[in-house]
Amino acid sequence: MENVYLAIPLAPLFGAIVAGLFGKQIGRAGAHTVTILGVAVSFVLSLVVLKQFAVDGADPYNASVYTWMVSDGVRFEIGFLIDNLTALMITVVSFVSLMVHIYTIGYMHDDPGYQRFFSYIALFTFSMLMLVMSNNFLQLFFGWEAVGLVSYLLIGFWYKRPTAIYANLKAFLVNRVGDFGFLLGIGAIYMAFNSMDYATVFAAAPAMESASFEIFSGVEWSLLTVICIFLFIGAMGKSAQVPLHVWLPDSMEGPTPISALIHAATMVTAGIFMVARMSPLFELSETALSFVLVIGAITALFMGLLGVVQNDIKRVIAYSTLSQLGYMTVALGASAYAAGIFHLMTHAFFKALLFLAAGSVIIAMHHDQDIRNMGGLRKYMPITWFTSLIGSLALIGTPFFSGFYSKDTIIEAVHHSHLAGAGIAYWAVLIGVFITALYSFRMYFLVFHGKPRMDEHTREHLRETPWVVTVPLILLAIPSVLSGYLIDPVVFGDWFNGVLHVAPGHDVLGVIGEHYHGPLSFVLHALAGPAVYLAGAGVATAWYIYMKNPAIADNIAQRFRGLYTLLVNKYYADDFNEAVFAGGARNVGRLLWRVGDALIIDGLIVNGSARVVGWVASVVRQVQSGYLYHYAFSMIIGLLLLLFWFVFIAQRVGA
Amino acid sequence: MNIALSEFAPLSTEIFVLTMACIILIIDVFVSDERRIISYVLSLATLLAAALISWNMLDNETAVVLNGTFVSDPMAALLKTSIFLITFGVFMYSRAYLVTRGIFRGEYYVLGLFAVLGMMVLVSAHNLLTIYLGLELLSLSLYALVAFNRDSAQASEAAMKYFVLGALASGMLLYGISMLYGATGSLDIAEITAALSASDEMGMIHIFALCFIVVGLAFKFGAVPFHMWVPDVYHGAPTPVTLFIGSAPKIAAFAMALRLLEQTLGGLAADWQDMLTILAVLSLAIGNVIAIAQTNIKRMLAYSTISHVGFLILGLIAANAEGYSAAMFYAITYALTATGGFGMIILLSRSGFEADQLDDFKGLNERSPWFALMMLILMFSMAGVPPTVGFYAKLSVLQAIIHVDMVWLAVVAVFFSIIGAFYYIRVVKLMYFDEPETEEPLHVSTDLQIVMSLNSLAVLGLGVFPGALLAVCAAVLVA
Amino acid sequence: MDFERFIFYFFAAVLVFAAVRVITVRNPVHAVLHLVLAFFTCAGLWLMLEAEFLAITLVLVYVGAVMVLFLFVVMMLDINVSPLREGFIKYLPVGLSVAALIVIEMFLVVRARNFGTDAVAIPARHGADYSNTRELGSVLYTDYVYPFEIAAVILLVAMIAAIALTMRRRPETKYQNPVDQVAVKSNDRVRLVKMKAEERQ
Repeated sequence: MENVYLAIPLAPLFGAIVAGLFGKQIGRAGAHTVTILGVAVSFVLSLVVLKQFAVDGADPYNASVYTWMVSDGVRFEIGFLIDNLTALMITVVSFVSLMVHIYTIGYMHDDPGYQRFFSYIALFTFSMLMLVMSNNFLQLFFGWEAVGLVSYLLIGFWYKRPTAIYANLKAFLVNRVGDFGFLLGIGAIYMAFNSMDYATVFAAAPAMESASFEIFSGVEWSLLTVICIFLFIGAMGKSAQVPLHVWLPDSMEGPTPISALIHAATMVTAGIFMVARMSPLFELSETALSFVLVIGAITALFMGLLGVVQNDIKRVIAYSTLSQLGYMTVALGASAYAAGIFHLMTHAFFKALLFLAAGSVIIAMHHDQDIRNMGGLRKYMPITWFTSLIGSLALIGTPFFSGFYSKDTIIEAVHHSHLAGAGIAYWAVLIGVFITALYSFRMYFLVFHGKPRMDEHTREHLRETPWVVTVPLILLAIPSVLSGYLIDPVVFGDWFNGVLHVAPGHDVLGVIGEHYHGPLSFVLHALAGPAVYLAGAGVATAWYIYMKNPAIADNIAQRFRGLYTLLVNKYYADDFNEAVFAGGARNVGRLLWRVGDALIIDGLIVNGSARVVGWVASVVRQVQSGYLYHYAFSMIIGLLLLLFWFVFIAQRVGA
Repeated sequence: MNIALSEFAPLSTEIFVLTMACIILIIDVFVSDERRIISYVLSLATLLAAALISWNMLDNETAVVLNGTFVSDPMAALLKTSIFLITFGVFMYSRAYLVTRGIFRGEYYVLGLFAVLGMMVLVSAHNLLTIYLGLELLSLSLYALVAFNRDSAQASEAAMKYFVLGALASGMLLYGISMLYGATGSLDIAEITAALSASDEMGMIHIFALCFIVVGLAFKFGAVPFHMWVPDVYHGAPTPVTLFIGSAPKIAAFAMALRLLEQTLGGLAADWQDMLTILAVLSLAIGNVIAIAQTNIKRMLAYSTISHVGFLILGLIAANAEGYSAAMFYAITYALTATGGFGMIILLSRSGFEADQLDDFKGLNERSPWFALMMLILMFSMAGVPPTVGFYAKLSVLQAIIHVDMVWLAVVAVFFSIIGAFYYIRVVKLMYFDEPETEEPLHVSTDLQIVMSLNSLAVLGLGVFPGALLAVCAAVLVA
Repeated sequence: MDFERFIFYFFAAVLVFAAVRVITVRNPVHAVLHLVLAFFTCAGLWLMLEAEFLAITLVLVYVGAVMVLFLFVVMMLDINVSPLREGFIKYLPVGLSVAALIVIEMFLVVRARNFGTDAVAIPARHGADYSNTRELGSVLYTDYVYPFEIAAVILLVAMIAAIALTMRRRPETKYQNPVDQVAVKSNDRVRLVKMKAEERQ
C-alpha cells in the first residue's frame, strides 16, 4: 500500500513540475492534460484508500517513508498516517481539486498564464495532500507553508494588478502571524515531548496534563494549554478566524477557480483539520477549548453580518466562508470534532459549487462582479441558476440538504456543551443561521431574479457557459445535496473511533446520538428547534427587502447609518491593522534602518570589515610570487616549524 | 608462496580499469582523428561499468589480500564509486573544450584513466608502499595532463612547478614512511599499528615520522602552507585538467589521510590532531581571504579549494567515526560541486576564448537564465547556503567538531566561511545584476548541457535529500 | 677502528663531498661527473650492507645509462649556468641556516639512541651461498606482486607521458611531404585569373 500512498501526493507534483517547467514545450493542452491526469490519479487512488477503510475496515497505516535527516537524536522524517480522517480528507481534497482543474480549462481559456496556473493548482493539491497525510509535525508544517506559498502565488496570479499584489502580500503577512504561533506550538511540543511524531506525542500527552512551566518567573502556565493555544493561533491564520481573518476577503483578487479551491474548500480548512487531528491534545485543556469556541462563535456571527452589505459577488461568498469556518471552529471548541469535519466536508462541496457558479456568472457577465449590475440571469443560464439554488439551499441549512445535517449538528452540539462560553456561542450560531439565509438569498435574488440591470451589450451576449464549466457544477451539486446522509456513519457512527479523541465529559455528540434515529427523524427533531425557522425567516426577509420592496434596503441603511458604516468598513479591522501594525512596523523599521543598518552595520561593520579583508588579501597575495623556489622554500619552512614544535617543544611541554 | 586466484577477486575493479585503459590506448593508435570519439565513448563506458562493479562491492566483507598490500572494504567501494562517477562527469565536460582547441586526443582519456587507477590504489591501500605507489601513479598522470597542451607556455610552467614541488612532497612522505619503517620494522598498516600500540611510549621518532607524513598529505590536499602549487597549477593547466585535479583526487587524498592517520597512526591521534588544527585554521584563513582579491575565476576557485580543504580537515580533527563520515561526505560532495564550478568555465569558453575572468560571468542571466541558475546553485553550495548540499557538508563537519568540544574551531570555521561567502555571492551578483560584456550567444553542445544540468541538480537534490548519502557515509565506516 | 669501519667512513666522506660539489661547481659537466662519483660511493656503501644486487644495479642503470644520457643532454644544450646562479650568494645564508636547522633536528632524532645497535639488533650475516638476487626475485613476484605491478604501470604511464608530450608536429616547423609533391598537378601550381584591364588614368 505504501506505493499507493506515495503516488497520491506525487502524481499532482509530477503534473505541476511538467506543466511548470516545460509549459512552453507541451503547450496549453499538454499542461491541462498532464495536471488533470495527475489529480485524477490521486482521486482514484483516494477512492481506493477510502474504500479500504470504509468497506474493508483496514487498519490505520502509520510509517515513515524517508528519513530526511537525524539531528541530535531527533528524526526528521517524511511519513504517512493514513486513517479514516485522512482517507476522508484526501478524497474531498482530490475531488474538489479535480473539479476545479476541469473548470479552469473554461475559466482561464484566454489567459496568457494558462500553464503557470495549472502548475500552481496541481502544486497546491500536492501540498494539501502532504499536509493531511503527514504523520509528524515537521511534514505538517511543510504542507502548511507550502499551501501558504501557493496561495500567495495564486492570489497574486495577475501580478500586474496592484490590488492583487496588495492582497497577496496581505495574505502572506497575516498568515505569517499565524504561522509564527504555529511554529511556537511545534517548538513547545518538541521541547515537552522531544519528538516530532504524532503517535509518540499523543501517547505521552495524558501524562503531561498537569505539567506547567514558567515563561515569566512566578507565573505558572499549563503546558498543554499553551501548546494548544499556539497551535490554534496557527489555525486562526490559515482558517481565517477573527482577528486574523482580514486576508481572506482580499484573496478574492485571485482567479475564481482558486477562490473555490483554496479559499473555500481546502486550504482554509487546514486549520480545522489540524485541530481535529490534534484532538488528543486539545481534549486535555478546557481553557484552550473555550478559547477555540469563543473565537469561532465571534467569527461565525460577525463575519456573516459583513456578507449582508457586500456588493461583489465573490466577496459575499468569501464572508460566507468566513462565517462557516466559524461554525466549524465552534464545533471543534465544543469537542464535536466529527461534526466539524463533517461540516468541513459538506461545506467543501457546496461552497466550491457556489464559487464556481459565481465564476460562471462572472464569465457570462464579462468579468463584472457587481451584483447590483446583475439580475434575471435565471432565463439565460438555467444550469448555473439551478445549481446555485441548490448550493444556497445547502448553505442556509434547508432540511434534507447536506448543509442542514452538518450545521444543525453543530448547533445542537454547542447547545449541549458545558464549556465556558458555550452559552454565548449558542446564541451566536443561532443568529448566524438567520444572517446566513439573509445574505445568501440576497445574493441569489439579486443575481438570478428581478429585472436585468446590466447594460445592453452584456445582455445580448448572455448565455450559458460551456460544458467544462457546467459539468463540474452539476457534479458538485450532487454531493451538495446527498453528502448530508453520511451523517449516519461519520458523526454518529464509529467512523472516527480511535481517530478523534473525545474526553468522556465533553462527548456532546454522544448525547445527541442517543436521540438520533436516522436522517428523517433528525429533520423532525430539528423542526422542534428554532434554527430551521430562523433560516426561513432569513429567506423571507431577503425576498421582501430585495425583491418586493427594494426601497426598504436603503431606508434601513439610512436609519442605521452608524451600523451600516461600521459594516461597510469591516469593523475598521483593516484600517486598524494598517495604521497600528503596518504603520508602526514601518516607523520602527525606518528608525532601525537609519541608525542601526545604514550607520552602524553598513557603514562601520560591513564596509569597514570588507575594506580590512580586502586590504589583507591584497597584501597576502604578494606571497604568491610565482617563483618555484619561493614555493619550495615555504614548504621546507613549514616542515621545519612542524618538526620544531611537535618533536621538540610539544614533547617537553606535554612531558 | 602461492597466491590463490581468488585473492584477485577483490581487485576486479582495478584489473578492469587497467585492462580497459590499455585497450583504449591501443585502439587510440589506430583510429583517425575524425573517429577519436571512439576513445571518448569507450572511456566513459569503462568508468560507468567500473562504477557498477564497485557499487556492487559495497556490501562485501572487508578483505585484505595479496600479503596485506590491498584491502577491499565498504569505504573503498563507496569512494571508488564516487571517483568513477565524478571522473565520468569530468570527461564529459572535457570533450567540447578539447575539440574546439584541437587537442582532442586519446592520451587525455588514457592518462585520466591511469590517474583514476592511481586513486583506486590509494583508496584500497593497506601498505605504506602501496600508498606511495598509488600516489606516484596518480601524480605522474596529473603532471603529464597539466602539460598536455604543449603549445601553451603557461601550462608547461604550471606542470614544471607541480612536478618539482610534487617530487619534493613525495620525497618528504617517503622519508616519513622510511622513518616509520625504521621504527617499527614493517610497512604493513596492521603491523605498524600493532607495533605502535606495543611500544608504551610514543617516541620522538614516531612524531618525527608523523610530521613528514602530514606534510606529504597536506601537499596532496593543498593545505596551507603547502598550498603554493594550487593556484598556479589550477590557473596554468588547461581547464579540463584543472577540473580533474580539483575534483576526484580530493576524494583519494581523503582516503589516503584516513588510511595513514586513522588506520596506521591512530595511536598518535593527539599529535596529528594538533598538526591538522594548525593546517585547517591556516587553510581556512588564507584560502578565504586571498580568494577575495582574485579576478581570475580559476584562481579564485583554487583558493576556494584551499578553504574547503580546511573544512574537510576539520572532520579529520574530530578523530571519531562521526568526524570521518562527515569529512567523507564533505570530500564527495565538494568534488561534485567543484566539478560543476570548473565545468561552468568550460561551458562559457569557446574557440580561442577562455571564460576564466570573473567579468566573463557578467550578465550571464541575460544570456542564459538556465545556466545562470545552475551556477547560482553551485556557488550557493560552495558558500554553504541551504538547501544545497554544501550546507549539510559544512553542518555535519561542524557538528562533529562541536561534539568533541572544539567549539572555538567551529567558530573560526564559520567566521571564515562568512568571509568566503562574499566571493561566491559576488559571482551571483555579477551574473544577475551586471550587464553582459558580450552579446555573443552561448553555443553549448548537448552532452555539456546534460552533464552541467545533472551536476547542479545533483548538488541541489543531495541538499534537499542528504539523508541517504549521509547514512551511507556513516555505514561504510562502521563496517 | 677495523678496516670495514674505515671503508665505511671513507665512502661516506666521499659521498658527502661529491653531493656538495654537485650543487656547487660552476661547470654542469663537472656537476654530472660528481653525481657519478656520488653514485659509485653509494653503491660501495650498499655493497657493505650485503645489497650486492642493488649496488650493481645502481651502477649499471644510473651510472651506465641515466648519467651518460644526462651528460649528453648537458653537453648538447650547452647551458650557461651563470645567470641561473645569480641568486646563489644572496640566498646562501638563509638556505644554509635552514639546512643547518634541519640537520640538527634530524641528528637529534636519528641518532644512536634511536637507531643504534642497542636499539636495533645487528642483522645476522648470511653465508656464502646466500643469493641476494634470488631472494629479491622471490619476494618481488610473490609478497610484493601488487606493488610490483603498480610500479610497472607507473613506468607505462611515464612512457605514455613522455611520448605524448614530446612526439608532436611543431606548428612553426616547415617540412615537405613528398607524396603531395609528386601528386601535384599543374593547375594546383598556377591559377590563371582573368581580370579587366584597368583604364588608363
